[in-house]
Amino acid sequence: MAAPPPIPTLERLPASAEHTFSSPSKRINDGDDLQFFHTSTAYQDLVTWLLQLSRSMFPTRESGSDVQPSTLDSPPPFSSTVQSLQDLVSDLEALTKDAPPDTGPRRFGNVAFRTWFKLMEEALDQLLDKHLVPLLQRYERQQSALKDELGAYLLGSFGSAQRLDYGTGHELSFLAFLGCLWKLNAFEDGEERAIVMGVMQPYLILVRVLINTYTLEPAGSHGVWGLDDHSHLPYIFGSAQLGPAIDVTAQPPQPTPTEGSSPNSPLPSSVTDKALVADLAESNMYFSAIAFIYAVKRGPFWEHSPVLYDVSGIKDGWGKINKGMVKMWVAEVLGKFPVVQHFVFGSLWRWERHESVMADGAKTAHAASQPRSGQQAPGSMPPPGGAGTKAPWAKPGVGGAEVGNGVPSMRAPWAGTRQQHAGPSHMGATQRPPAASGMPPTAAPWAATQRPAPSNATAGVSRTPAPRRDGG
Amino acid sequence: MSDLDKAIAQLRACRPIPESQVRELCYKARELLIEEGNVVCVDAPVTICGDIHGQFHDLMELFRVGGDVPETCYLFMGDFVDRGFYSLESFLLLLCLKVRYPDRITLIRGNHESRQITTVYGFYDECLRKYGSANVWRYCCEVFDYLALGALIIGASTDMQPTDAPLVDPNSQAHVPSDATDLEIEILNSSGQIINRFQRQPRQSGNSQDLSQLSNPPSSPSQTQPDQTPTRSGAPGTSATSNSGGSASNSSGAVLCVHGGLSPLIDSIDKIRLLDRKQEVPHEGAMCDLLWSDPDEIEGWGLSPRGAGFLFGADIVKCFNQKNDLSLICRAHQLVMEGFKEMFDNTIVTVWSAPNYCYRCGNVAAILELGEDGSNAGYAPRTNGDVGRVGGPLAERGQDLRMGPGRRYRVFEAAPQDSRGMPAKKPVADYFL
Repeated sequence: MAAPPPIPTLERLPASAEHTFSSPSKRINDGDDLQFFHTSTAYQDLVTWLLQLSRSMFPTRESGSDVQPSTLDSPPPFSSTVQSLQDLVSDLEALTKDAPPDTGPRRFGNVAFRTWFKLMEEALDQLLDKHLVPLLQRYERQQSALKDELGAYLLGSFGSAQRLDYGTGHELSFLAFLGCLWKLNAFEDGEERAIVMGVMQPYLILVRVLINTYTLEPAGSHGVWGLDDHSHLPYIFGSAQLGPAIDVTAQPPQPTPTEGSSPNSPLPSSVTDKALVADLAESNMYFSAIAFIYAVKRGPFWEHSPVLYDVSGIKDGWGKINKGMVKMWVAEVLGKFPVVQHFVFGSLWRWERHESVMADGAKTAHAASQPRSGQQAPGSMPPPGGAGTKAPWAKPGVGGAEVGNGVPSMRAPWAGTRQQHAGPSHMGATQRPPAASGMPPTAAPWAATQRPAPSNATAGVSRTPAPRRDGG
Repeated sequence: MSDLDKAIAQLRACRPIPESQVRELCYKARELLIEEGNVVCVDAPVTICGDIHGQFHDLMELFRVGGDVPETCYLFMGDFVDRGFYSLESFLLLLCLKVRYPDRITLIRGNHESRQITTVYGFYDECLRKYGSANVWRYCCEVFDYLALGALIIGASTDMQPTDAPLVDPNSQAHVPSDATDLEIEILNSSGQIINRFQRQPRQSGNSQDLSQLSNPPSSPSQTQPDQTPTRSGAPGTSATSNSGGSASNSSGAVLCVHGGLSPLIDSIDKIRLLDRKQEVPHEGAMCDLLWSDPDEIEGWGLSPRGAGFLFGADIVKCFNQKNDLSLICRAHQLVMEGFKEMFDNTIVTVWSAPNYCYRCGNVAAILELGEDGSNAGYAPRTNGDVGRVGGPLAERGQDLRMGPGRRYRVFEAAPQDSRGMPAKKPVADYFL
């Protein structure tokens, strides 16, 4: 993956120039779109932004001097922007008090989450006004368009009110929200670690509060075989915190470490020691995420979290774990249709082909695990080859589609957006439902929103165009 | 000891069997399952189980609570795999038992017994990890295609022989009738102690039973049974009546077991029998609905938030039961915190058998035992599958619903975990190499 030096950072908009915002919209509607996404500017930018933030979380040292550790309890100074965003997150958390969990009979996800979501939606405009004053002043003449674009990413960051679930797609949306602010020059250079510790971590804590309060389902669960029911980013940032220090004075810049650990860092195998995990949760994002798993799950750790258990056996240090977590994120989040299908594109995260798509190193990382579709998207590059996890049916030659992993809760993979009421009775209720109200357990993974035509290994399966796609 | 018995012993110890054995097992299982109809007929007594989802140790707990195969006759309503850590061991053990004791265990298909779903919800990942290739996953999926879609339980007694089990709380006598005549529902904990009992209630009695203090109340107590014992005793499941002079018995109507629920395309059990089931679960249509639908507090049919199957209301269930001479529909598919949940005046029940689902839901699990009707010398009228014996739903209106079978629920919690040692770490995914 590794971008060679110089270390790329997310490009900012020219500070002085006018900018035309646009209301973000969904673009990824099928496998071809997914392929195009992987050649897009937005994709490049997301990977760059993630790597930039991840790098900032490694401990640092200046040549000859001691290592400056990277811990949550000794964060860098927070700028007023970071503080404002913290306040924004607190305000959102406070809304839970006005949306107490429903105590009536229910299945799993608590319908009161819809109340919280509605409150959040209603407060959004005002919250942006309140907490992004300097930015909005700078774009005074385009304020509403700006808020429209920014708001879409914030709105997408807290799970699905319809399905009562939360997953890495929502986490991605928050990462994109912060990336918007970076592009719009809301942050200073060198402020990355403050962004992660000062905004991302409080956001993740808010999400845990929401998951606990409203018992949100994992969106896209591979059961025990996924990394984590809900999150991925804390494992990237947290492993970086424990990696070897980067010499910040080195010229040319030292590449981001891909193995080794900082001195005195806990062993990766510490994850099975509940008491140690509780201790480390205060200072480290990786262990903070593990502590949450312990808080919500009962049973042996290696059973309910076998992937994390296996990762804890890695001998090459936290740098290696960080590298793997980044690769995995690129493949399992950006590479999976069910996860990224909800991502929206506008003037900041752009749905247009990236000019250097062939040359870019970062993209090959996930290439292998991308679902393939039969034909290429117009104008897209041939998918880079490579081995890796493939959907079982995604054999070359099988036309169309994949079923990605990580699907919104338990839904039919083929399901589309909702439809009109099914005919009231027998014979001839030809309409497929999908999505109505509060979803608890098993949804068909093809549900939720449309999916690409799932390819089944079996012949004779009626390949219903069923769950029509929503327009896109 | 035969190879099959060895495989059973190995799987009971939670150790997967070699790929070659899996292949052979799946081949034998298919030969057996291909002979089964879409709707398998099962004689009471039988113990009905809901979702397992790879929770192997909890499946062992289920057998401890409900008795072992072949001593106890079991019916599993699907969703053996996905989500849990031991889908493979759980499914293969059940399959071995099926091949070894075909008449003592019935497996029907759940919505997770599908290629597409297992690639999304974990079973595929598990096979890949445990065998290093997808072969075993493929063999299992071929078996999935042959699993029956439903089962019809015949000859379940309306009378329940009360157990002489002790009460959990001797002070609760006031709530638990001890004479236990005309017992309809009995709820036991995993130690076999009685948590609660319900007697049959005449319809007029209304909400006479105080459920507020019970630890495992059925969601709707049985206060709406028909006024009188139905006079019909024709073959359950066929809507046949006894007008032609069949002998009276206290056999209840048949019990239909299906993973999800009903379909707007299916108004009689015979229509299920006509489906071509030997395929991947389609994305829509009758077969899909049977595996995906859910009952809900609505009228008629509604859209399912799952994106497959439908929601169906009490009117649909009552009409279907009457037309098909059923006393009860038994289904799984939805997590129920109390392990089971009866709805729509006890015409449908959800049974859930995966305790502390996904290691975090905190729910208990349940199994449902239906007793044998001994009053007719063990003879239970068989369904003959004749169509068109009765008029449509309208013609049926006003007739009584069949009296439900006596139902004994055994409720249990997740198996203790102390004894499970920590395994060696496996090589990590490619990402970390």
